[in-house]
Amino acid sequence: MRQQLALATILALGSTAAYSADTIIGITGAITGPAASSYAPAVDGLRIYVERLNKAGGVNGKQVKLLIQDDQGEPSKAANNAKKLLQDGAQIVVSASLSSTYAPIIAEAKRAEVPVLFAGSVCPKEVFPPADKLLFCTTAFTAEYDSRAAIDFVKETKGTNLKLALGAMAIPVSRGGIDFAEGYAKSLGMTIVDKQIIPPTAADYMPFATKIKSAEPDLIYSWAPWINQVRTFEAMRKLGWQNTFVTWGHLEAEEEMVRLKDPNLLVLGANALFFNGDLPIHKEIIAAAKAAGSTSNPNQLTEGWIAGLTIETLLKQIGSDNSSERIRSAMQTLKIDTKGLRGGPIEFTPTNHFRTTQYYRIYKWDSASNQITIPKNWFKYEIDPAGAGSR
Amino acid sequence: MQLIVNIVVLTSLYALVACGYVLIYRVSRVLNMAHGELMMLGAYALFATASGISGNPVIALLISAVLSMFIGLATYQVLMRRLTGSSVLAAVLTTIAIGILIRGMVVLIWSPQPQYPARLLGLENPSLAIFGDARISMLSAVLIGVTVLVYSGLFLFLRFGSWGIRLRAVGQNALLAAQRGINLHAVFAFAWGISTFTASTAGMLVAMDKGLDSTMVMIGLKAFPAALVGGLDSLFGAILGALIIAVIEVLLIQYVDPLLSDVVPFLVLIVMLTIRPWGFFGTREQLDRV
Amino acid sequence: MFKSLSTQSAALKAALWLCVIGLPFFATPAQIDIASQVWLAAIGAISLMLLTGYAGQISLGHSALLAAGAFSVGILTKEFSAPPWVCLILSPVIGALLGLLFGLPSLRLRGLYLAVSTLAMHVLVVYLGGEYETKRGYSTGIVVDPPSLLGFTVQTAVQWYFFLLFFAALAYLLVRNLTVGRAGRAWALLRTNETVASALGIRVDRYKLLAFVISSAMTSFAGGLFAYYRGFVSIEAFSIYLSIQYVAMIIVGGMGSLVGALLGCAFVTILPYVIEGSMAQLTFLSSQAGAIFAVNYAVFGILMIAFLIFEPQGLSGLIKRFLPKRSSD
Repeated sequence: MRQQLALATILALGSTAAYSADTIIGITGAITGPAASSYAPAVDGLRIYVERLNKAGGVNGKQVKLLIQDDQGEPSKAANNAKKLLQDGAQIVVSASLSSTYAPIIAEAKRAEVPVLFAGSVCPKEVFPPADKLLFCTTAFTAEYDSRAAIDFVKETKGTNLKLALGAMAIPVSRGGIDFAEGYAKSLGMTIVDKQIIPPTAADYMPFATKIKSAEPDLIYSWAPWINQVRTFEAMRKLGWQNTFVTWGHLEAEEEMVRLKDPNLLVLGANALFFNGDLPIHKEIIAAAKAAGSTSNPNQLTEGWIAGLTIETLLKQIGSDNSSERIRSAMQTLKIDTKGLRGGPIEFTPTNHFRTTQYYRIYKWDSASNQITIPKNWFKYEIDPAGAGSR
Repeated sequence: MQLIVNIVVLTSLYALVACGYVLIYRVSRVLNMAHGELMMLGAYALFATASGISGNPVIALLISAVLSMFIGLATYQVLMRRLTGSSVLAAVLTTIAIGILIRGMVVLIWSPQPQYPARLLGLENPSLAIFGDARISMLSAVLIGVTVLVYSGLFLFLRFGSWGIRLRAVGQNALLAAQRGINLHAVFAFAWGISTFTASTAGMLVAMDKGLDSTMVMIGLKAFPAALVGGLDSLFGAILGALIIAVIEVLLIQYVDPLLSDVVPFLVLIVMLTIRPWGFFGTREQLDRV
Repeated sequence: MFKSLSTQSAALKAALWLCVIGLPFFATPAQIDIASQVWLAAIGAISLMLLTGYAGQISLGHSALLAAGAFSVGILTKEFSAPPWVCLILSPVIGALLGLLFGLPSLRLRGLYLAVSTLAMHVLVVYLGGEYETKRGYSTGIVVDPPSLLGFTVQTAVQWYFFLLFFAALAYLLVRNLTVGRAGRAWALLRTNETVASALGIRVDRYKLLAFVISSAMTSFAGGLFAYYRGFVSIEAFSIYLSIQYVAMIIVGGMGSLVGALLGCAFVTILPYVIEGSMAQLTFLSSQAGAIFAVNYAVFGILMIAFLIFEPQGLSGLIKRFLPKRSSD
């Protein structure tokens, strides 16, 4: 009896040694600052998810401690945030901010051998095959595949014998994406009649739109921050150009589509829009947001929610050992059920930390039924494991 | 034809903003670096009025316009007045500080989300077809009209209005004007008031036409080359400068490279500074020979 | 204990140096990083103090000059595989050239045309930087490896702290020597009254240009250091607000005082963290989205205005007021 007791005590002590306290996740995001409207909802989404998770008892009986830092989209701040989060014991650093904040965050995290999860901002090329051991990305958009999907959809619906105009913002990421679109469209036999790169400081989009219009395109594709896309679109319409405008669905897209009510605005997206509001997951998000008193619009919380799902899936998989080494190794192979928020699961493999398959949908406003409709439901691209598509 | 329409619209915008720089510079030799922010503040004032006080466009616009004039007067009275007499350096630095303060306050009060005052006021902004196949949005047309009105008003006022004459007098020789009994502080405050009023008007029109967010301050920056090329203390110069800059921008976008449309106006500014620093119609500044 | 004032101030100086040198040994990595940022910013603050506080010219070009220095390092490293010592020598040269190019048109004139000229410089540099990044495929920025100088690689937080401290001290000494020399006297005079200075035979335009060129070279050098420190160069980091922050540093610190430049830069660099810390105490951070950076802006604006109106001598002036006066013996 005593021996059994002693053994039990030793075992108990032994397992408490392996039992570390809460899992600590750090997030640095552009919560405030000029870029905040694009990234703050992602941070909010994650926060609400984690709060709800903890209220329900956490994972495996352990709470998830979420440390939130605001980097305002500034690299220096982000670097400092990363240092702070790491010194406070963060086992994963999440980033929802401008790409200019990446390098300092990555440098710090690498020094501490802590994985970085990009959730809400454009995926860096290091998460594509062959992926860097420590970098992961769940963000919906990525320049090259988005452009590929858009152009393929155009080919499918309108053929390749057409004149295409492209629009970007004068920031390197957007330009890179549109440059790729140009090359790809040309390779399919489409004619590129104009490529407008608009400075972020443009006061009036009419001159740029005039230039595009004078090239008489059959169709326009724009991949840039939402404000640029929508201003270009509105300027084109003001000039009387009524053709199809294909663009990326940022988090503002849903509301704006309702505002604009244009049947020829096609929005390419990787997230499920909420109008479907009957998806159980959307109901969940709306309820959770309300309970947490969030000021963000629930239909903008998707990226943060997916980050939350990723973390919960990871923690459930590793069980009671939430040590940093275990987290690191478990992230290499992970399958996250997005519950309908994306077209399918997000799967990480040791060489692919973006996802094995990227799913897209096309949305458009339908005046007859007075709502957003889905002209093309989930279609997918397998990410090239050889790493050819790495942007 | 569309090009000409675009040029006229852009010219009107820059001219309306530039006249504010000119007014303040003319009376006090101060470069108001907060002009863009004051323009944005005026637009937000419209938004606040529209969402809080009255949804009627005419009333909202009127209230906001009066409000912005008071903001200009108050800015002078409370802040800039204390710097009159000390170096222009300190005054310009203060305007920089005011600009930053306004940027912060605007986001604190209204959040960084883009706003659409026109929707609040129930204003439609249809695209009008003019001169054949050229298009212009209604509010852009209004902008052109307003600019013409404002400038006509200013010209008449400066020529014939008693306060206008005082303004010109102070601009020419402040000391002499003061000795003749002109209240310098009142004139300066007045200049600030009108300047802010014109800037706000521009801001409100842009906000209604396209939307309101913090990138609006950039328009203030881009109006700088316009003001300088024309001559920082000349109203007529402001129109000419605005026209030149607008022509350059639109033609560059159409025929060369849209990216250059941002840079070239400033290069023109540098060239102007080198060959004729007082612009086309400004008063000659004293030059030190290099 | 200490009878004379000079022993008191010497002791104070010694104590300060002790803190400065000892800091990395008892601070957290995040705190060391903040301190290192202060030293890096000090170079820019000192150079701006030279230009504005001594020579009386407003510049909004610090962001552009930092960008120029940083991009020099990035471009030289990526295109020419240039070693760090070459990059660090060339970046101030580029800064000086920019200073010459944009100083010449405006500094001939009385008045504050340099402010406008530097705006043009800013727009141009941002355009060029963006073009380089896009055309050469660095859309998410240029990664730069830690610099190796004389066989020694600067990598850890502590190493960087002392490396940057060294250059800050160097900048301080350089400008201090300049300002007590002939150039300094010329600047002092032309700041107060250009007409008088010119009447006395001082080549006003040349001295203004000299101030701007030296200031630009120093700032570009700081930009080069910044590239190595962050390990990363991207044009988005360089906004006009950055220029305004440097202007805030010298206003808050007190114009015309090198010590003021240091005080101001420490204040401006650390203040956002203080604001953030206190806001976290008061309200739950994320439910106040939009608050913090706006608070930063507003606080900076108010501070600058307050100092300009009430205490043009800035923090250094405030401190002078509270230091014990020399007794009249």
